[in-house]
Amino acid sequence: MLIDRAPAPTLPRARDAVHAIAVLFFTAALALGALGWWAGDSFYLRLATEALIFAGLAMSVDILLGYTGLLSLGQALWFGVGAYTSAVILRDVAASFWLAMGATLVVTTLAGTVGGLIANRVKGVYFALITFGLAQVVAKVVYNTRELGASDGLIGVPEITIPLGFATVDAANPAGFFLLVLALVALLYAGLAYLMDAPFGRTLIAIRANEKRVPFLGFNPLVHRMLAYVLAANVAALAGALYPMLRGFVSPELLFFQTSGNAVITVIVGGVGTLIGPVVGSVLLTALRSVVGTWTEHHLIVIGVLFMLSVVVMPKGLVGAVRPWLQRRLSGSESPR
Amino acid sequence: MTRMTTAAVTAALLLTASTAALAAEPIRVGVVTPLSGTYTPIGQQVRWGLELAAKEINAAGGVAGRPLELMFEDEEANPAVAVQKAEKLFQVGKVDFLTGTVNSGSTLAVGQVAERNDRLIATTVSFADSITADKCSPNVFRVNARAGQQSAALAEWLSKEKPKSKVFYLGPDYEMGRSTVAAFKKAATDKGSAEVGEVFAPLDNKDYSQYFGQLRASRPAVLYTSVAGNDTVRLLSQMEEYGLLKNLLVVGASGTVTSQNIGAIGKAAEGFVTGVGYSPEIDTPANKAFVKAFTAAYGKDPDLYGADSYGLLYFYKAAVEKAGATDTASVRKAMEGIQWATPQGTKTMRAGDHQAVQDMYAVRVTGGKFTIVGSVPGEAAIGPDACTKF
Repeated sequence: MLIDRAPAPTLPRARDAVHAIAVLFFTAALALGALGWWAGDSFYLRLATEALIFAGLAMSVDILLGYTGLLSLGQALWFGVGAYTSAVILRDVAASFWLAMGATLVVTTLAGTVGGLIANRVKGVYFALITFGLAQVVAKVVYNTRELGASDGLIGVPEITIPLGFATVDAANPAGFFLLVLALVALLYAGLAYLMDAPFGRTLIAIRANEKRVPFLGFNPLVHRMLAYVLAANVAALAGALYPMLRGFVSPELLFFQTSGNAVITVIVGGVGTLIGPVVGSVLLTALRSVVGTWTEHHLIVIGVLFMLSVVVMPKGLVGAVRPWLQRRLSGSESPR
Repeated sequence: MTRMTTAAVTAALLLTASTAALAAEPIRVGVVTPLSGTYTPIGQQVRWGLELAAKEINAAGGVAGRPLELMFEDEEANPAVAVQKAEKLFQVGKVDFLTGTVNSGSTLAVGQVAERNDRLIATTVSFADSITADKCSPNVFRVNARAGQQSAALAEWLSKEKPKSKVFYLGPDYEMGRSTVAAFKKAATDKGSAEVGEVFAPLDNKDYSQYFGQLRASRPAVLYTSVAGNDTVRLLSQMEEYGLLKNLLVVGASGTVTSQNIGAIGKAAEGFVTGVGYSPEIDTPANKAFVKAFTAAYGKDPDLYGADSYGLLYFYKAAVEKAGATDTASVRKAMEGIQWATPQGTKTMRAGDHQAVQDMYAVRVTGGKFTIVGSVPGEAAIGPDACTKF
C-alpha cells in the first residue's frame, strides 16, 4: 500500500485520507477494468469510460466550487468546446489524438480567458448566472450553426488509434480506451491535487474563505480567480475532447444546462473540495442512472429523491462522510478535523 | 439484467402461452424513445403503436413462429443518452432490431452505433431529410414520411387548388425553421407558385403585428408558415384580430397546427392546410380497424407517430419472414424494396436510400378537426434518391 500508516507528526493532514480514497478508487477501477476485459465485456467498459469522462467535467466544477468558492452553472460550455474542437479536428483535419488534445488546449485557453474576463467581473450568485448565461448563448449558437451540424450534431467522428510511444491504443477497443481514460483522469487528479496543495491552491482556498483579505497577504485575487477559471475550463475541455473519441459524435445537448447541472450534482454527492469525490460521484451516478433508467421511466424522480437524501444524510458528500472515519484510522488516536 | 418488458406485452405473451409461438426463442426489438421530458407525448404514441402491433403479431403466431419481445429504454430526447441506451440494448439486451428515436440528432447518432455494432435500426418519427439523404446509413431505415415528402405533398395540392399563386413565407428564425421554409419554397416554386415575400420571426415571438405591414403590402394569396406550438397560437390569433385571414389561404408544416395547440388557436385555425403522411380520417377498412383497436386499448386516437410505429413491426415481420433469418445482412437485403401493408396503405421501402415511399395527404382544419382534402400518390411526393453512401 502507498499509504503511510504512521501517525502524522503534528497536524492530522486532511489530504491523507482523501489520497487513500483515491488510491483505493483507482485500484478498484483497474481491477474492475481487468475483470471486464477478461469477461470480454464492451457495454460496461464503455459506460465506465463515459463516467470517467464526465468525472473530468465534475473535477473542473470542484476546482471552482470546492476551492475557489465559485459556483459555475455553465461548465458544460467548456466540456462542449473540447468535444466540438476534438470532433472537428478528428473528422475534418486529421485523425490524430495528440492534435485534437493540443488544439483543445489552445482553443480553450484563448476562449477561457475571454470567458473568464466576463465571468470574473462578478462574484457569488452573479457569477453563477453569468456562467449559466454564457453556456446558454454558446449552446444556442452551436444549435443554429449548420457548419457545426446545428441541432443534429456532428456524426462520423472516426475511431482513432492513439500512439503513446510505448504502445498504441485503439479507441474502438473498450478495455484499451478505458485504461487510457482512467490513466488520464488519474493524472489529472494527481496534478490537480498537487496544485491545490501548493501555494496556488492555498491562495484559492483563501479566496473562498475571505477574498477581501487576500490582497493583504500580497496576492492578487482576480489573477488567481482568472487562473482557476482557465484551469477549470481546460480540465473540462480535455475531458470533453475524449467524448467524441468514445461515442463518435457530438451534439449541442452536451452544452445544455442538463450537463452543467449534472456536474454540480455529481460534485455535491461525491464531496465538494475533495477532487476525488467528483470522480467517485460520477461513477456512482452514471451506474445508478443506467440501472434505474432501465428499471422505470420515472428514473428522474428516483435519482432526485436519492440526491435529496444524500444531501440530508451526508451534507459533505460521500467522500466528506467517510473522511473523518478514515482519518482516525490513518492517524491513530488523533481527533478528526 | 433488468428488462423493462411492458405489462401489455407480458399479458400478450401470457395470452399466447398455449400456442407454439412461445416455445421458440423470442425476437427482441429494442425501443429507445423519450419516456420523460418534452417529447413524452410522442414517445407515448410510439410505445402504444408498437405495443399494439406486438400484441396483434404475437396473437397471430409471432414472426416466423417466434414471439416479439419489446424492450424499452428512455432516451430523454438527448442523443448522448440515446447512444448509451442503444449500446446497452445491443450488447446487454441482445436485441435483434432497434427503433423509437424521435429527434433527428438521436436517430443519426444511434444509426452510427448500429453501424458499429452491425445491427439495423429504423425511425418512425424523425423527419429531417438528411437521415435518408446526405447522412444516410446502410443500417438505418425510415418508415415515416420525411419533411420533403410533406412539403412536396402540400405543394402538389396547392398547385392543383390554387395554381400559380403568390406565396408569402413566414418562418421561425432557427436552423430547422429556415430549412423547412427553404424546402417548401423549392417544392412550391417548382410547381409554378411565385414568392412575394419572406420573413423570419424569432422563436417564441410575442408580437407578430410588426410583420403584418410587409405581409399586406405584398398581397399574397397564400401564406406558408412553419412556426410551431404557442407561436402558431399567437400568429394566427393576431392575424385574425387584424382581419388578415380574409381571402388568404394559410398553409404550413405538419407541426404548425397540431392536436395540442388547435384548441388554443380556436376559430383562427379554420381553413389551415398541411401535408401529412397519416390521418385517423383515412377511409380504408385497415385504418378503421386500426383506429378502433388503438382507441379501445389506450383511450386516445392514434396520431402519425402511433400509426407509423404500428406499421414498423409489420415491416420488420415482413422482412424477417422474407429473409428467413434475423441476421443483419439478410434482413437488410429483405428490407430493401419490400412492400408491406399499414393503416396508411401499402408502403414501399426504397432500396437506394432506405426511405419509405407512401401516399401523402393534404388535410384541412374544418370545424376544429382535420379532414382530408386531397391525396398525393407516393411516387409524386418522394423526390429523387440523394443517398450516395450505399
